[in-house]
Amino acid sequence: MIARPSTIFLAAVTALVAVLLYSPLFVPIVSSFFTVAHGEVLWSSPTIAAYVSLAGNREILAALRATLVVGACTVLLSVCSGTLLALYYHGRRSGRGALQFIIFLPFLMPPIISGLALLIFFREVGLERSLLTVVIGHTVFVLAIVYRTVLTRLQSLSRSLVEASYDLGATSWQTFWRVLLPNLSSAMAGGAILAFALSFDETMITILVTGTQSTLPVRLWAMMRLGFSPDINALVALILIFTVLLCVLAARVLIPKQAATAAH
Amino acid sequence: MTENSDLLTLRSVSKSYGAVPVLHDVNLEIRDGEFLTVLGPSGSGKTTVLRLIGGLEPLSSGEIRLDGQNISRMPINRRPFNTVFQDYALFPHLTVAGNVGYGLSVRHVPRKEIARRVAEALELVQLASFAKRYPAQLSGGQRQRVALARALICRPRLILLDEPLAALDLELRRQMQEFLKSIQREIKTTFLFVTHDQEEAIGMSDRICVMQAGRIRQLGTPHELYYKPNCEFVARFFGENNLVPGKLGEVHGELRSIDTALGRLICSIAGQPHLKNAPDGAGAFAMFRPEALHVADVPEGKNHFSGRVVDIAFAGSSTVAIIAAGDGRTTRLRMRLASRFSGSALTASETVALSFAPREAHLVLS
Amino acid sequence: MTGPGPASTPTRWSQRLVTLLAFATPVVFILVPLAIFLGYSFFSVDHGEINYTLTLANYARFLSDPIFLPVFWNTCVLCLSVAVICVLLAYPAAYFLTTLKGRWRYMLLMLLMVPLLMSYVIKIYAIRSILGLNGFLNKALVGLGILQEPSSLFVFNMNAILLTLSLLLIPFAILPIFLTLERIPPILRQASDDLGASAAQTFLRVTLPLSLPGVASAASFVFVLAIGDFLTPQMVGGVSGFTFGRVLYSQFGTAYNWPFGAALSVALAAVVVTAILLGERFGRNRGASL
Repeated sequence: MIARPSTIFLAAVTALVAVLLYSPLFVPIVSSFFTVAHGEVLWSSPTIAAYVSLAGNREILAALRATLVVGACTVLLSVCSGTLLALYYHGRRSGRGALQFIIFLPFLMPPIISGLALLIFFREVGLERSLLTVVIGHTVFVLAIVYRTVLTRLQSLSRSLVEASYDLGATSWQTFWRVLLPNLSSAMAGGAILAFALSFDETMITILVTGTQSTLPVRLWAMMRLGFSPDINALVALILIFTVLLCVLAARVLIPKQAATAAH
Repeated sequence: MTENSDLLTLRSVSKSYGAVPVLHDVNLEIRDGEFLTVLGPSGSGKTTVLRLIGGLEPLSSGEIRLDGQNISRMPINRRPFNTVFQDYALFPHLTVAGNVGYGLSVRHVPRKEIARRVAEALELVQLASFAKRYPAQLSGGQRQRVALARALICRPRLILLDEPLAALDLELRRQMQEFLKSIQREIKTTFLFVTHDQEEAIGMSDRICVMQAGRIRQLGTPHELYYKPNCEFVARFFGENNLVPGKLGEVHGELRSIDTALGRLICSIAGQPHLKNAPDGAGAFAMFRPEALHVADVPEGKNHFSGRVVDIAFAGSSTVAIIAAGDGRTTRLRMRLASRFSGSALTASETVALSFAPREAHLVLS
Repeated sequence: MTGPGPASTPTRWSQRLVTLLAFATPVVFILVPLAIFLGYSFFSVDHGEINYTLTLANYARFLSDPIFLPVFWNTCVLCLSVAVICVLLAYPAAYFLTTLKGRWRYMLLMLLMVPLLMSYVIKIYAIRSILGLNGFLNKALVGLGILQEPSSLFVFNMNAILLTLSLLLIPFAILPIFLTLERIPPILRQASDDLGASAAQTFLRVTLPLSLPGVASAASFVFVLAIGDFLTPQMVGGVSGFTFGRVLYSQFGTAYNWPFGAALSVALAAVVVTAILLGERFGRNRGASL
């Protein structure tokens, strides 16, 4: 019905965009299965040597472990405090706008500013840079996302749900544990997955606040600046598979229930 | 005011969405200058008729002719018709003047002329002082009038109105009905109006086309449809008719008898040859309006029977009595009484003698 | 626990604690660090030690030094160009998505968003290897006969930063544009057709103006993300690709002048806030609730 040439043009641009977005992903993955010598990929010699040497690369494995530990702590801290804040600010007028603004600041500001502010803060309060400071940095960064996810769900819950619970004689704590928490759990899970994904890939704040031990992106950053290593290609492939799995998981947890509540 | 020349003709028009047919073999002539209403319940295909004419959707088969020329494949932006959409579809980023002038501006009409005609059109819909506002700053009725002005500014041959009053509240809807009708008289343009509201249709139209399940059931003046529906669907769709099933009996000139649970009733068949020609014993309904039914003082030549008052419902200016009549009191009838301050003339569970005049009653084949 | 519940006395102290936590957490970990950071911009450095006397010297230096202001300006122009490139590529793609039906639309949208999940650092690295002297881009251009020999135009300079940032940030432009395009009721386009507009007129007069809010937020998104990035310029910028983010970062590394870095950050924050406010201002439709 609409002029064909325009549709072809649109499809072509979309295809170009897809190629532009995916080539940086596929180039290292494909390269990971071939021998690399002097910065050149030798297409004639396929190999899994990169994966073998990755398995023996202690530095990378340690960084991976640190990343997972940081991610887990960040998720725990951000989900607890994000949910608490959402519950607290939900339905409260005074001071909510200002505090919400503060929570969103690290997410809106360039990470370099948040990172540097924290760096100076840690120095002023005398906190040594370590994985702990990284966890604090990540939590501050992802808090807004968790808070937002939980608050959105809270706002979609009918007020009468809580009122019904009180009406039936439940105390505040009982209402929290038996009515609110079960209804918030999927939003909290969704927030947790997002928080983990963001923490897993966070680089700019981490670089600034990390101590001697560093997370995977920072370790990769350091390695890449030194030069090309086939291990990295292998790691890229593995991380891609991991993130796609995480993405599928997040979609499963988040989409069906949110679609159901969004259709109010 | 109705001229006899046909503006637009639909010939054997059908439409399906995939395997789902929504219009079957629709034939319709729209006369130049008339106010034609397409009336039907939701899902009857009435909006589809409008969309096909407007060119918003392609036909599956059949053809649409404008002045005798087939325009079935003419693209929407070339058809000399304009639509007033159900929820107005005003462009939110343009002012009222921008919206109204849009049709002229895309045709590269000179600015000065656009300004003049926009002012004219806004004058016509009584919104002259609103030219610089945005649609979001208008009330429902005002948006409605902007949409109308936008549709009529290009001087289309036909204006299509897709349930334009559905979103308005009752009082505003009444005002807009009169307003639309007066505008139509003033600009002498053909209106094709789609609605599911039979009262609206009766009040505004020169002719009404009743649709059901993708077919045209009846096409005629509001009076014809109200008093002489040609089928049970139309009879039931137009208000609270009493329909009593029975079998046709003999013809006496302009009258014909029908044997029903209320006994033998005499009904008018004036001007309805198909009822005269229907065989004896054919299934039919005797149809009469609640207001045709009276408490009988048994004059000759009237249809009369007895019934028991089951319920009395006060409805403001009138009161409706529900009557159980016939053998075993299984036939329910509605009877309209004038409301009086002192209460109803009838009381519940009272048994009364009732009658109605043969010329107030009609037959509908089942 | 926050509802209008019967506030029995034993829970009062715990409610006070919750209130304290709810207000203290964001203030201590977000507001206080930012305030200290801002305070730092008024300090100075003496022989590697921070001098806590208040001074405007850092701001004066930023405004008067022949290096910083041009770098700042060039970076703004660079990031604006990145925003323009991203919008130009993202708009047709987002528009194409809205022409698709049902499930395909969201499948393709997902497909265009998935690269966001991939490690940022790795993408920068991969793009560098594509743009490099031995990279795919040069091989392709030489193979097609467009270039005689591999060119170093695409790596370790401003061009490289521009290209890399654009590639990294396109998805952030697609999403807001797609969302506004999707929210335009199809009936408005039909109304435009009905009033006699051609397909091009309908696009230029209805669809495009109604999607401009999405374009504005897309551009401000991309701009903010681009200007805050110091990794990309570091990785692909080489010696000539010197951006504000890098200058800022170096104040906390090699240059070791935290107060001056803090002052530079304030300038950065000012630009970011401006961009966000502009995006917000134009990202809102003129009272266009439908």
